[in-house]
Amino acid sequence: MLVAPGQKVRSRVAWRGMNSLVGAALFVTPLLMLVGIWAIVVPLFNVNPRIFPSVGSVAEAAVAAIGDGSLIRHIGASMLRVGLGTLLGVLVAVPLGIAMGVSPAVSAFLTPLFRFFSVLAGIAWIPIATLWFGYGFGAIIFVIFNAVFFVVAYNTLLGVSTIPMTIRNAAASLGAGRWALLTEVLLPGALPNIVTGVRTGLGFAWRGLIAAEMIATNVGLGYMLFVARDFYRTEVIVLGMIVIGVLWLFIDRLLLVPLERATIERWGLVRRT
Amino acid sequence: MKTLSLKNLRKTYFDPYAGSQVTAVQDVSLDVEQGEFVSVVGPSGCGKTTILNMIAGFIPYTGGEILIDGNLVKGPGPDRGVVFQSFALFPWKTVLENVGFGPKMRGVPKDERDRTAREYLALAGLSHAADRYPNELSGGMQQRVGVVRALANNPAVLLMDEPFASVDAQTRMTLQEELTRIWQERKPTVIFITHDVAEAVFLANRVVVLSKGRVLDQIKVDLPRPRVWDQLIEDETFKRLSAQVLQMVRAA
Amino acid sequence: MNIALKFWSGYVRATHRWPIIATIVPFIPVVAIWSIVANSGMFPRAFFPAPVDVMRSFISLTYKGILPDYLQDSLIRLLFGAAIGVALGIPLGILIGSSRLAHRICWPVLLFFQAIGDIAWLPILLIWFGFGLTTMTFVIVYTVLFPIVLSTVLGVQSVHRDLARAAQSLGASPMRVLWEVTLPGALPNIITGLRNGLGYGWRALIAVEIIVGTSGIGFMMFDARRAGSTVEILLGMIVLGTLWYIVDAWILAPIERATGQRWGLVTS
Ligand SMILES: Nc1ncnc2c1ncn2[C@@H]1O[C@H](COP(=O)(O)OP(=O)(O)OP(=O)(O)O)[C@@H](O)[C@H]1O
Ligand SMILES: [Mg+2]
Repeated sequence: MLVAPGQKVRSRVAWRGMNSLVGAALFVTPLLMLVGIWAIVVPLFNVNPRIFPSVGSVAEAAVAAIGDGSLIRHIGASMLRVGLGTLLGVLVAVPLGIAMGVSPAVSAFLTPLFRFFSVLAGIAWIPIATLWFGYGFGAIIFVIFNAVFFVVAYNTLLGVSTIPMTIRNAAASLGAGRWALLTEVLLPGALPNIVTGVRTGLGFAWRGLIAAEMIATNVGLGYMLFVARDFYRTEVIVLGMIVIGVLWLFIDRLLLVPLERATIERWGLVRRT
Repeated sequence: MKTLSLKNLRKTYFDPYAGSQVTAVQDVSLDVEQGEFVSVVGPSGCGKTTILNMIAGFIPYTGGEILIDGNLVKGPGPDRGVVFQSFALFPWKTVLENVGFGPKMRGVPKDERDRTAREYLALAGLSHAADRYPNELSGGMQQRVGVVRALANNPAVLLMDEPFASVDAQTRMTLQEELTRIWQERKPTVIFITHDVAEAVFLANRVVVLSKGRVLDQIKVDLPRPRVWDQLIEDETFKRLSAQVLQMVRAA
Repeated sequence: MNIALKFWSGYVRATHRWPIIATIVPFIPVVAIWSIVANSGMFPRAFFPAPVDVMRSFISLTYKGILPDYLQDSLIRLLFGAAIGVALGIPLGILIGSSRLAHRICWPVLLFFQAIGDIAWLPILLIWFGFGLTTMTFVIVYTVLFPIVLSTVLGVQSVHRDLARAAQSLGASPMRVLWEVTLPGALPNIITGLRNGLGYGWRALIAVEIIVGTSGIGFMMFDARRAGSTVEILLGMIVLGTLWYIVDAWILAPIERATGQRWGLVTS
């Protein structure tokens, strides 16, 4: 059978599309089953809505929250904070990490410091952040910045210091100047580690965000959950939890994991995360 | 006395991409006597590994039957020892513990199984390595452990799938000579799968040539033992048999 | 220049002999800068206390017994939660790692619940269990569980198929294969998971103590926040960082390395 090249490619793409559709269906099915169980169990045992909401009431809460624009406002506030804090964190951390990683002595010297600060990343900064910046936007940005900064800087440092000296020497002997060495060798070489760092740091930041919003603000997903608790609005709480889960799943699986995989695979640097 | 017999053995795989059945083994019948050393050769993809895995009980068969001492094979069992191409030593166990694993599964007390294991290690010239971990050994040493680990369990049949394919040429020759020596001492029944025609002839009493999931032909190898490469390499009978097997494989 | 070089070589030799020096020395400049900034009067002292103030607070709180008590509370909560997390996580991970069907069903659910994250459970937990140990334990177990399950699954799947086959053909029953092959093979991954889990659990504990708090280091920090006492907040952070450093660098990391290296399963 003769097949024109274009035709073959198209059919293969279609097959791959089918594959990812099947994959998505396989992924979603167990979750739908879970919703099914929830829909059966709650009315069956006549669960008090103050303890756990029914599927219907959560759906109503969703419609209401979307209708009055509050859900979008909360999501927007949370995403803005995470986005801004992460951006700042990465912008400061990467150059610093590269600068520190260039010399093995310096990076060895600084490693304990980063180890110390990385466990504090995020949540442990909330009390002092709120004291310094007051309750609100500044404190939360500071917490997220911290969560991202230490992890990313540490991973960048690690990434740069694992680039073999021979590669640096090779580049230098091929005529690479300082700037070229940085952009052509150090940055790409450390990129897989940087991406891994961003993924881990964002994970901490996301948790820190929810915690900080419960304590220190009047808008955002964490705040939405915590206020609902005061009124025993379990349907709003569960809605918020689902939104948080879905958002993170999208950020992590559709953005960070593919990014990580792409950088790691592209250079054949199989590193474990 | 027959130890192993395959009767009209058949195996088809489902190929999920083509959406159809693929026949890996079409119709294989083979009888192996107690204490016989049978080499199986054939071009890549002719079904050698599939047959071995079915005898070992790792994969189910589609049709026919496999009998060990008259008993139908259903799943893996200690009556069939397996030596893997990937060695498959337990990295978290010392060499001694690896060799003593089979007896341990039979509930043999520690003293006794250590004694057995040491005896078998001595057989392979590995007494000094008893307390080392597998990753501290060379590839050749690891495969020696793999062989005696299977032997120490006293299997009715020893199944080997290209066991020496991943060691260097020098070591391979030594291992082959050692295997013939050990075989002469213990007379286990062996099914030995290989790509290497010279290896097949060197080791076996009989060479079976497979092609496209069928037995194409068989050749008896009546070379004297002990066999050593220094002598056989010049031996006319060995050369003739090797050439003959090679022709069959290439025609397959 | 010459003196600096000499000093450097002395430092390198000293750290080689006593590795702990390499851990402590980097903190000296940090503390020094902190001290200078605090003493310069750039910020009000109440807002940005000096290392001496924190030290003084450390001594007084230790002397009064508050700090040791709180520390003990936090550690016990963490260990208790972690123990339950391990007891649930490893069997679950083995099940999901070794059964296709279980993997199909559980994996998406697992990822989703992991994505919700520990902290987001707090409001509903407070409704269910109130401010108390149950809520805290739940959050810690929840946090520790996922890294352990996920890395156990990875560990189980990374065990070479031939190893299980070898054990089977040497006469091992399915339970023995699990015990002799699957578990040890997955162990390095499990320990990595435990290490990550404890790292996350520690953070979660702080958050919970801040929000739920009746005692513990997190509570101490937030109580100090309410009273506007920066010193105790900083003290809390330093205690946290130090403790985790000791646990992670001197206990967990060496165990992780030891299991992997001896067996040649070194995972980077
Ligand atoms: N799990 C499987 N699923 C589908 N087809 C398979 C599977 N395993 C083997 N096959 C097919 O069965 C046939 C025989 O494979 P087998 O591995 O037994 O060959 P072999 O003789 O051992 O080859 P080699 O010498 O390369 O090891 C091949 O065509 C192969 O593609
Ligand atoms: Mg094969």
